[in-house]
Amino acid sequence: MRTLKMRIWIATFSIAALFAPALAHTCAAQAAPRMPGELAWTIGYDPKTFDPAKVDDQESELVRYLTAGVLLRFDRFTQKIEPQLAESWNLSPDGKTLTFKLYSGLQFSDGSSLTSKDVAWSIRRVLLPATGAPVAEEFLSPSGVTIDTPDLRTVIVHLPQRVIGIGKIFDEIAIEPASRPSEGRVTSGPFIVAEYRRSQYVRLRPNPHYAKHDASGHPLPYAAGVRLDILENHEQEIRLFEHGEYDLIDSLPPDYFELLKKKTPSSVRDLGPSLNTEQMWFNQAPQAPLPAWEKAWFQSRSFRVAVSQAIHRADLARIAYLGHATPAYSFVSPANAAWYDSKIVAPRADVAAAKAGLANAGFRFHDGVLQDSAGHPVRFSILTNAGNDARLKMATLIQQDLAALGIQVTVVPLDFPALIERLMHTQDYEACLLGLENVDPDPNAMMNIWLSNSPNHQWDPSEKTPATSWEAEIDRAMNRQASSSNDAERKQAVDRVQQIVADEQPFIYLVYPNVLVAFSPQLKGIQPAVLEPELVWNAESLRLEGTR
Amino acid sequence: MRVKLFAAYALAALVLMAAAVLTAPHASYSRQDREAPFAAASRKHPAGTDALGRDRLARVAAALLLSLTGAAVASAATTAAAAGIGALAAFGKAHVGWTAMLICDVFLALPWLFLLMMVRSALPLTTSPASSAAITFLVLAALGWPACAQAVYRGARNLRNSEWMFHARAGGLRSAQMMRSVIPNLIPLLLPQFLVSIPAFVIAEANLGALGLGIGEPLPSWGGMLLELDNSATLFDTRWVYFPVALLITVLLLLEAAAGEA
Repeated sequence: MRTLKMRIWIATFSIAALFAPALAHTCAAQAAPRMPGELAWTIGYDPKTFDPAKVDDQESELVRYLTAGVLLRFDRFTQKIEPQLAESWNLSPDGKTLTFKLYSGLQFSDGSSLTSKDVAWSIRRVLLPATGAPVAEEFLSPSGVTIDTPDLRTVIVHLPQRVIGIGKIFDEIAIEPASRPSEGRVTSGPFIVAEYRRSQYVRLRPNPHYAKHDASGHPLPYAAGVRLDILENHEQEIRLFEHGEYDLIDSLPPDYFELLKKKTPSSVRDLGPSLNTEQMWFNQAPQAPLPAWEKAWFQSRSFRVAVSQAIHRADLARIAYLGHATPAYSFVSPANAAWYDSKIVAPRADVAAAKAGLANAGFRFHDGVLQDSAGHPVRFSILTNAGNDARLKMATLIQQDLAALGIQVTVVPLDFPALIERLMHTQDYEACLLGLENVDPDPNAMMNIWLSNSPNHQWDPSEKTPATSWEAEIDRAMNRQASSSNDAERKQAVDRVQQIVADEQPFIYLVYPNVLVAFSPQLKGIQPAVLEPELVWNAESLRLEGTR
Repeated sequence: MRVKLFAAYALAALVLMAAAVLTAPHASYSRQDREAPFAAASRKHPAGTDALGRDRLARVAAALLLSLTGAAVASAATTAAAAGIGALAAFGKAHVGWTAMLICDVFLALPWLFLLMMVRSALPLTTSPASSAAITFLVLAALGWPACAQAVYRGARNLRNSEWMFHARAGGLRSAQMMRSVIPNLIPLLLPQFLVSIPAFVIAEANLGALGLGIGEPLPSWGGMLLELDNSATLFDTRWVYFPVALLITVLLLLEAAAGEA
């Protein structure tokens, strides 16, 4: 019976494969040797480019953040714009002219002097279509931007039209030596790229001519260098962190956070809600291939509000995230200092109110099953992406929450390409549960989600004209915040959008996942921030103390 | 022989125990006890609860019955198809046999995991968990027959070339008449094929479940349970929970294999 033996062998092998992750844990690789005083942590993949103008992925962005000198820095901790290479800056009242005054005596890392010519060249390079810089489109019409340099320390940027949040755009423009782009080898920031080994590590060394000093006049950065190991595996990362090979871990999943907390409680920190949201929504698109009565449910405000009221968000946070998430009722997280509005009134967990609301809207309960006025039993599916443990758990919890209303929910995890195909192309789905990562706290960055004619207006993409009066009002309010230079007026407009979204529930917000980090007690100067890069936004002030 | 008997009894005992667990009052594999996620063993939950506070014992028992039943049905379908095709290929014209085996080879070369994923994502979204489980096993059966058919083909061809067949043909027996005596002679080959396919399907479903694409929530599946092994954080916290499941699968497969040893 050779086949039989072979099959038993195959069966055993398959079981071994199921245990493979556990086995891998015991034979984790070693990190590259560390130089004295060097900081080390991991990035998930190879940076796609070291050219600061072409950055389009998270890891390249981190390298740019650590190496590039910029005119203005968006302080990740205070969430305010601070001048960096610029001594001062101002924006004309019409919002079309920016004037930067550089510090005197600025130098690049190779010792050559940094003047307004280098600044003008760097900005022009970013604006050129040939460069393909993703930042360029934030200027709205990059081809119309002109730059003057009346003297070696003054740069004047003329914009063809007002751009909201223009200051923050300069946080992403690295100032490089004119006509000598170096892919991070010659910079005006705290570090320079020293060595890169594909799939192994990126090594940065301090810029000897960095302009900033600490309060006592000691030159920054403190660290003798930074090594970014390219490592995708959380298991290995945590193991090496425990062995002191790595100094910090940003964005820990909740279960690993708990594991690490058990071993070294002093090293982990829950920073509270992130800017990111997890939400579910119903497909309201009139062209969706769904039965007419289902579309009628999903387009009914009462139905959406009842579903929102039936969901126990505290349970989602406590069970799916092990307590490391915060119930969410709006798209602006409490972590967003400038834009959060505590006065938003949103539906809270209240099953009795949900039942009453459904009854008022013509739904009725029949043998424990919710039916619409025509007698169709209410049942629908919730899509989510396969492999995301927290989302699958939330969907399964919501399944039971909605069973209390007599609604039968099917949870369908799909692989990501199949999911996107349904969301973006065929629109063949009923409800979906996904998250949104917000890197930029300014709600202007969410224009493409809220404007009704946008293809990313998920519940009903690319509307020719707003389908409802409240969507028209969202459009008006979002356009108002985008065209106003008055911060109070912008805030008012965004608050209004938040209240409409809370009333109408096109997105049913579920939780803000918390920012979970870990760092070595020997790492001094650390000031964890909720915005990326959470732990190393002040990398130049970080240093290691004691022997490891 | 004694091993085989023991294995058959042990298997039957496992199935009976699982049925007993599920028919007990208040047993539910889907009810979430939200106050007690990841609870340890207690009188209420003899094997503790999972991440969503569902009773583990009930879930393991339901998964056992579900995956055994599904795999047995799939295996029966596979064996029947393989018997038909294998016998047809062996006793038909030469080009029929050649074509049938070519199709088998093509099927064996298919990336079945991707096919399964495609089928899963093409299913209507409102397919209930029970029907999606049935469809999963049927698709497994549809993809699993060629290996079996090849084995049957080889057996049936030996039969066809055997001396008594030669005599029967020489004596003027027609194909249809011969078939009548061929089928009983193939049974010693088909029975083990049927039995060894069952564990293969159990594993295939577990693999699919471990990718998160198996049987849908809230129906339990062993693959789905083992999915959590992917994460050492939970693994080390709750190894007393997952190792028994893995062990149970291993034992089940060995028992089935031993029971199938002819």
